[in-house]
Amino acid sequence: MRREPPRTLTDYGPLFFPAAMLTIFFVVPFGTMIAVSFFQRQQGGFYTPAFVWSNYERFLSAFFANVLGFSLMLSIAVAICCLVLALPFTYLLTRMSRRAQVLWLVGLLSILSLSEVITGFAWSTLFSRTAGITNLLVAIGIMDSPRALTPSLGAVLTGMVYQAFPYTVLVLYPALVRLDPTLTEAARTLGASPLRAFFNVVVPALRNTIVATLIMVFIFALGSYLLPQILGRPQHWTLSVLITDQAIYQSNMPFAAAMAVFLVLVTLALVALTLFLGRKGEAA
Amino acid sequence: MSGLVLKDISKRFGNFAAVSHVDLSVPHGTFVCMLGPSGCGKTTLLRMIAGLDEPSEGAILLDGADITPIPTHKRNLGMVFQSLALFPHLNVGENIAYPLRIRGIAKEDQKKRVDELLQMIHLQGYGERPVSKLSGGQRQRVAIARALALSPKLFLLDEPLSALDAKLREAMQVELRQLQQRLGITTIVVTHDQREAMTMADTVVVMNGGEIRQAASPVDIYRNPSDTFVADFIGSTNLLEISADSASRATFLGKPVAGLALPAGLAKASVSIRPEDVHLTAPGGDAIDGTITFIRDLGGTIETFVDVSGQSIVAVSTPRARPEVSVGQKVGVVLPHEACVVLKR
Amino acid sequence: MDEIQNRVSRRAVLGAGVAGAAMLAMPSVLRAQDKSLKIGVYGGYFKDSFDKNIFPDFTKATGIAVESVAEPTGEAWLVQLEQAARAGQAPADVSMMSQVAMLKGQATDLWTPLDMAKIPNSGNLIDRFVNKYPDGRVAGIGAVAWYITLVTNTDTYKEAPDSWAAFWDKANEDKLGLLALVSNSFLLEVTAKTFFGGTDALSTEEGLLKAFDKLAEVKPNVRLWYRDEAQFEQALKSGEIPMGQYYHDVTGLAAADGNPVRSTFPKEGGIQDSGCWALSRASKKSEEAHIFINYMSQPTIQATLSRKVGTAPTVRRELLDLTDKEFSAVSSDIEPIIPRYDLYQSKSDWLNQKWTELIVG
Repeated sequence: MRREPPRTLTDYGPLFFPAAMLTIFFVVPFGTMIAVSFFQRQQGGFYTPAFVWSNYERFLSAFFANVLGFSLMLSIAVAICCLVLALPFTYLLTRMSRRAQVLWLVGLLSILSLSEVITGFAWSTLFSRTAGITNLLVAIGIMDSPRALTPSLGAVLTGMVYQAFPYTVLVLYPALVRLDPTLTEAARTLGASPLRAFFNVVVPALRNTIVATLIMVFIFALGSYLLPQILGRPQHWTLSVLITDQAIYQSNMPFAAAMAVFLVLVTLALVALTLFLGRKGEAA
Repeated sequence: MSGLVLKDISKRFGNFAAVSHVDLSVPHGTFVCMLGPSGCGKTTLLRMIAGLDEPSEGAILLDGADITPIPTHKRNLGMVFQSLALFPHLNVGENIAYPLRIRGIAKEDQKKRVDELLQMIHLQGYGERPVSKLSGGQRQRVAIARALALSPKLFLLDEPLSALDAKLREAMQVELRQLQQRLGITTIVVTHDQREAMTMADTVVVMNGGEIRQAASPVDIYRNPSDTFVADFIGSTNLLEISADSASRATFLGKPVAGLALPAGLAKASVSIRPEDVHLTAPGGDAIDGTITFIRDLGGTIETFVDVSGQSIVAVSTPRARPEVSVGQKVGVVLPHEACVVLKR
Repeated sequence: MDEIQNRVSRRAVLGAGVAGAAMLAMPSVLRAQDKSLKIGVYGGYFKDSFDKNIFPDFTKATGIAVESVAEPTGEAWLVQLEQAARAGQAPADVSMMSQVAMLKGQATDLWTPLDMAKIPNSGNLIDRFVNKYPDGRVAGIGAVAWYITLVTNTDTYKEAPDSWAAFWDKANEDKLGLLALVSNSFLLEVTAKTFFGGTDALSTEEGLLKAFDKLAEVKPNVRLWYRDEAQFEQALKSGEIPMGQYYHDVTGLAAADGNPVRSTFPKEGGIQDSGCWALSRASKKSEEAHIFINYMSQPTIQATLSRKVGTAPTVRRELLDLTDKEFSAVSSDIEPIIPRYDLYQSKSDWLNQKWTELIVG
């Protein structure tokens, strides 16, 4: 089959559908958001179309820089925790019997069916003083008296890792299933312990998958706004929480949009940086 | 004793016995080929020797020491996998140096050894190449070099040449055999290709249904198969039903086979006779009468198919050594007793 | 206690009766298709109660069919109404709106001015429940009122605290659950009333800053700044977070269900918040809306709301037939703290920024 350059309008036909989807689901909403971020806020009311920088100016303060910094750090921590837990887990999962794999995957998928609210409440109960896991520790004599583990950074991290974990596994799973099992076996016959073989062979062979997974979980975690509220103290609130506050409770759409645009830009920059470093690392 | 000894090894996966009660002794420096149809347990046996699978029963001894409980990475062996399992993220030199790196060998020594090995496999100067840029045969050799980097006591290969085309495969067989003889390393190759086994092995181990059917030199396996499976599996053969007459002489379709007798007490048996041992003459006399049904002229050899009372017997000869015959012609088939191997049924 | 439980079971019985009545009323709803009204009520408990106890009787009395719409709390509904109105749409004709939302809606003329002549019952209302535009037009009419009070877990606190000052008590470290937003917690007003003589102290920026400083002292005592009411309610019941601010009516219902919680009107007064009925400018059902608002302003309906829904009445007490017990279940004679809604309109961004920095920083 020869590939000819498209000549008539119908030759471009196959492009219309993806282009339309991209426009409807990405370009239009994001464009609207950028536009609104420059609108003039009417205090106590709504906004009027304008082109002002004041929404961005308000954001450029030490206070919001701190919140943004915390959000990014939290999301990075969530991504790393998820990967560290999910990679060995998924690796072992792919080596189980077909039946066991299906059972685990169904279990993980059912976690996805839980809403963020339910997850948050379940964890806040588990971490509570009155009904939480510390009561178990007291019962078996490890602790003297039950303690509340929430609100705390650890609780936020746990909740968010729990929520992102199934996604992490589902992203890693296909790559690990396709991974040639003889690679690790070869490493073992060459003198590497199973653990060493995992780090020497599985991890580098999955390098691109791992980077993609980190980015996905990072972005996923960045959008989380319920769990930090339910499980954390105000200093653990992410930028997404403040964006929600502005958009929903203060009806300050321009400021919320400005914060969201800023967050998207910073995220894209970080992702680009990661990919750039990854490529450089590969070339070296 | 020195070398590898398998003592009553069995491996079950659930109810399925992949390997049952295998005993084998491989003297130091021997080249062994394990041969058998797929699913016969040869790969499982190799993996147990490597420590990648654990035997359900039995013990594996290397130079007198029981290595059954020792994990793979402490067994000091080299293995080449069917997939080759070259590490995609490492280049040729790094792949070969991997076992050296694991043992913490000094960088300079690593480099020296890698150069040695590259020379051994005729790939000098390929150290920096990514493995994805190599041809099939080159990758094959890199996998071999990597497995031999630590001069292991045991060299295991699982269908190592199956991915190569026929010509390259034959060349690699010779190369592998020469390499093994030069290094004097105990080598076990799993293959389903009998030609490969015949080319390389000191000892061919024929397996079927999880059991060893025969372990012997290639010539012995060919000339004196121990049972009908081995006779049939190795090369092509005529398997004929023989019965003893009142004088305990062997008869084929009622006609005595000159000079062949069945062991005492055996009324029926099979006889294996290789096609190149079957002679064709004029019908009548001591010969068994038959009709030629098909002639396959391969240039170098000619296969003649003879129907004898409904049973097909194949005779092979070089064109010059064969009488002029044609399809439909009546011929006499001669089965020289010294070429007949009597096998229990 | 008995009284409330009685009330609950009565509501259940009545509910069954209403369900039957609703089925019988179906044909009349169909006939009255041209006379209908979409009414926005806070989703969940409020909407359920209104659907059960109020709307069927209204339809019966006036022939106007009601389609109730669950609206989210906070200002999300205001945003939706405003955006819909710009497109000439009204997701609900009449909505129950918070006071801050009323003021914000006024800024964009979202509310159709109400004709008081068509609402004769408005004379029954307590003055502060008539919401007016700065130029005197009526933007909304008080629908229901409720109190946010000082709530405690009775297992942890044997004695009920009698002052909001308990929030500042060092003994209550890490024990409080407070609302997370400046515009729904009204803690600035509480601070001003408790320590600075009244909410007038908030009229100057200096006064506001003083209140913020005082409020900052509460931070170490706060375990949870909540947006989600259920989260705090659960924690209060279990004693996980044994003190805080919460809705008087819901706390009363929880206590009636046997939970170890109590709601106290501190001596400085409970925080009285209220919802207004307001008509979207995009609505074409002005006539029906006036009839509905007039109906809702009757003392008997307000008494029914107090008994069945648990809200505080918006009409003057002397017009009501509520017993003292019934009245104190939903309200109090202690002068309430009335939020400075004007601040949340004129200084909303500044207050919000200060507040966020206060609790997050």
